[in-house]
Order: sequence, then C-alpha cells, then structure tokens
Amino acid sequence: MSQADVLSQSFELGFTYTRSVGPVVGRFLPAMKQRQILGIRGSDGRVLVPPVEFDPVSAEALSEFVPVASEGTVASWSWVYHPRDSHPLAHPFAWAFILLDGADTPLLHCVDARSPEVLHTGVRVIARWVDEPCGHIRDIRCFTPVPEVADG
Amino acid sequence: MAEQAAVIGIGQTRYSSKRGDVSIAGLVREAAQAALTDAELTWADIDAVVLGKAPDMFEGVIMPECYLVDALGGHGKPMLRVHTAGSVGGSTAVVAASHVQSGTFQRVLAVTFEKQSESNAMWALSNPQPFSVHLNAGAGGYFAPIIREYIRRSGAPADVGIKVAVKDRRQGARNPLSHLQLPDITEEEVAQSMMLWDPIRFLEACPSSDGACAMVIASEALSKVAPRKPAWIRGAAMRSEPTMYAGRDEVDPRAGRDCAADVYAQAGVTDPRRDLDCAEVYVPFSWYEPMWLENLGFADTGQGWKLTLEGATALDGGDIPWNCSGGVLSSNPIGASGMIRFAEAARQVRGDAGDHQVEGARLALGHAYGGGAQFFAMWIVGTEK
Repeated sequence: MSQADVLSQSFELGFTYTRSVGPVVGRFLPAMKQRQILGIRGSDGRVLVPPVEFDPVSAEALSEFVPVASEGTVASWSWVYHPRDSHPLAHPFAWAFILLDGADTPLLHCVDARSPEVLHTGVRVIARWVDEPCGHIRDIRCFTPVPEVADG
Repeated sequence: MAEQAAVIGIGQTRYSSKRGDVSIAGLVREAAQAALTDAELTWADIDAVVLGKAPDMFEGVIMPECYLVDALGGHGKPMLRVHTAGSVGGSTAVVAASHVQSGTFQRVLAVTFEKQSESNAMWALSNPQPFSVHLNAGAGGYFAPIIREYIRRSGAPADVGIKVAVKDRRQGARNPLSHLQLPDITEEEVAQSMMLWDPIRFLEACPSSDGACAMVIASEALSKVAPRKPAWIRGAAMRSEPTMYAGRDEVDPRAGRDCAADVYAQAGVTDPRRDLDCAEVYVPFSWYEPMWLENLGFADTGQGWKLTLEGATALDGGDIPWNCSGGVLSSNPIGASGMIRFAEAARQVRGDAGDHQVEGARLALGHAYGGGAQFFAMWIVGTEK
C-alpha cells in the first residue's frame, strides 16, 4: 500500500498599507531631491543623521535641521560577496555605517568599492547621486571611496 | 492589591479618519504629551511606560514598541507592550494600574493607539488560510451571527440597534474629540443605511479612526498631591476564554460575567444599575449595548433591550447613561478604543467631561472586549478611594 500524501498548499499573505512619515522624515526625504542630506540637532548638541523626531536623551521633540556633507568616513562595514536581485548593486559591495562630515551619528548605506581590501574604519567615501533624484534614500545610488591625495 | 492608585493625567488626540500630518510616533506622542501636561509632569517624572495597540498586522509595523521608545520617553525605563486584540486599550490600563498597585512604580504612563488610515484592519482580521474558505468578513462578519442569535433568544424588536446607533452618535456630537460628528442623525437614516453584515447596517457599525489615548497612573501619595482631581481606581479585572470551545455561549460569554463580578466585588458594587453613575462600554456594533447590559448585570438575561428602549442608557434623562462620549460607535482607533472607555470613565468622576458630563458622577465603569468576544478588561473609578 502506498503512503498517503501529506497535504500541503502554497500560501501567500499580502497586505497593502499606507505610510505617513510625519514632519521630520517628511523634510529629510524632499531635501534628498535637492541632493542635500539633513540631520537634526539633539539636546546634547549632537547632529543626528538621519534625523529623528524625538530626542534620544531628553525625549523632547526635535526641530533644528542641520545640513551635513555628502562625504564622510566609514565607521564599520559588512562586505556582500554574493549580491542578490534585491540588493542595490549587481556586483559585490559593502553595507556600511558612514559618519558624514558634520554628523555625530552614522548613516547606513552601500559603498561601491573594488574589493573588501579597500575598506577600513576611517576610509573616506563620497555620495554618488542618481541623475534624477525623487526624494528617496536611494537618491544616493551608493558611496564610493575618495581617492587619497598624495602628500605634497 | 496593597497600594491605592489613581488616574492623575489624561490625554487624547482628536479622532479622525486620517491623520496624514503625523507619523505613528507623532500620533502616540500627542496623546502622551497631553496626559503629562494634564498631570503637570515631565518625561523624567515617569517610572515606566506601558504601550498597547491592536495586532501588528493592522499597520504592518511589527513590534512598534521598538521604534516608539524615544517618542514615549522610554529610554532607560521599563517599557512593556500589551497585546489582547480589541480589548488591549483596557488591558493596558489594567497592567499600568497593577504596576502601581503592586508598589513597584510610583508613576506609570499608559499609551494606546491605532492609525487605521495606514492599516488594513478588515484584511488583517480575516486573512486567508490554506485549505479554508476565505470569507473576508472582518469583525462585523464575525459578530453578525452572534447578534442574530441574541435577537432570536431575547425577542428584541428590530429597531433596538438603530436606537443605540442614534443615541451614541448624538452623544458623540457633544464630545469635540469624537470622530463622527452627527448631531442630527435620525433613526430613518440608520434604518436606510446599507446592510453591511446582516443584521448590522453601515450606520450601526463603528468607524475606522486614527487616534491615541494616554493616561498617567500614580500611587496614593503622588495622587494626593496631583494638581487636578484624581480618579481613584476602585477595582480592575481581566478575564479570558478561548475563541471556541464546546458549549461556549458567544452571546453571553462567561469570561465577561466573571470579569464583571470580580470588578464589582472589588469596588463594593452589588447592583451596577443602581450603584454606578455611568458606564463607558465597548459597543462597536449597536446591538452590543443590550447584549452587554445583560452580560454586565445591568439587566436580567433577555431584558437588556428594554433599558435601551426606555432610554435608561441615554445621557439625557437616563438613570444609567452608557457611552456619554459617543463610544466606539463614534470613534474607533481600535488599539486605543478600550483605553478611551477607561479614560472617559475617569473623566466623568473627575468632573472633566465637558458637554457630555453626567452631573455629579461619583462611580463609573470602563469596559473593553476583544478577540472573538473572549478577552475582557474592566475597571471602576471613583471620586473617593
């Protein structure tokens, strides 16, 4: 007698949602359209990037936006050896925490570097913007290492 | 419980169909800040935060408590998420109260919310499952046959639900925070509105709302020095039962009766209709007023609808007004809806309910139910300890 089939059925659960970003992210994203990265000043004077609505120290609502540079240094990174379809780049790259000049907290983004050997804590990187920014974090296509200027 | 506790601050957003101007964090923050302001406190004065909302699938933000820590001043403090479906607003208040009654904390912030404009509650409440027929019926579809059975058993006239729908909306029009503002709604309008889940018509069902509600609950010593009149928590209880079991009475759930008996015993209530001055009871579909009148002991089994028809539950002229704020039928940010009942009961005994105040209210019931009418949370608040 053959063994009974065990029933199974594929099952996809999909929902549709809407998001309201609020006044802080609602200002951060449109600024990206102008190729401008905004941080926000916390109660202790630190510039938090990306900007947050409420202060991590005092819990007060924050509102003092501070433009920061599109260039900074890598604080830490993880090399992606085998990119998948959903990754931002088709070839190997790094996810990195990038401390932009003028910021006190790092931004998570991708770094397009030739090889993992290029990366180290403190390496300088600069944002590469897409041709037509639309107000999205992906308006920065990626960061790339800044060529080191030879001494003298 | 060893310690007395009281509500010393209440904050609510205005309820509306869409708050596109704020994030979820901004929405909960508004209610929490209003509760602190009401109590004349700052974030530093709060010892612990308790957060409640309906299932995460509603907005699709999984474990929103993770990201709401900063909005609720939770850094460095205990923060707890409560999760009991539609009754969660009430359960959150009960958990916050027990945090204080246990003597562990002096001042606890309790916050609940729902942002239905970002969510898909209908779908989340009836998601398809393998090997099952998908009814996509939502909460109304679940409760419609239970209401039908109540009507059959009690022999209630067909217009009882319509009368509740009109009463709660007219009372809601006296509450400026209420989502629906329908001061001139008529029985004809309700009767002619679309039959959504037979026998529940469109205007006999709650709206979908954005909103948040918050309370500060404090110890006896700190409540006595609070700037505004405290609402003393005279009793608090929760009961649960499975969605389905053989012999379960879904019309008159045992857990609801047991929960009411517990909270009445704590507060010294022997006849709720006589002893209480008003009640805020979770009535998301009109017929749940007569059903809960019976389950909560305000009327004998099969007799609840008579109180509704007599006008006993009306703010104007009734001896036991129910849902003076307009109730869930006027505002329904699901996760907050239970806490709004608890907060509105507290407002009544603080004498703080504005145009929907019950004159001289001294003892009030707040009630919430959730899931398949299987989770119950209740409290009784009073002017005296």
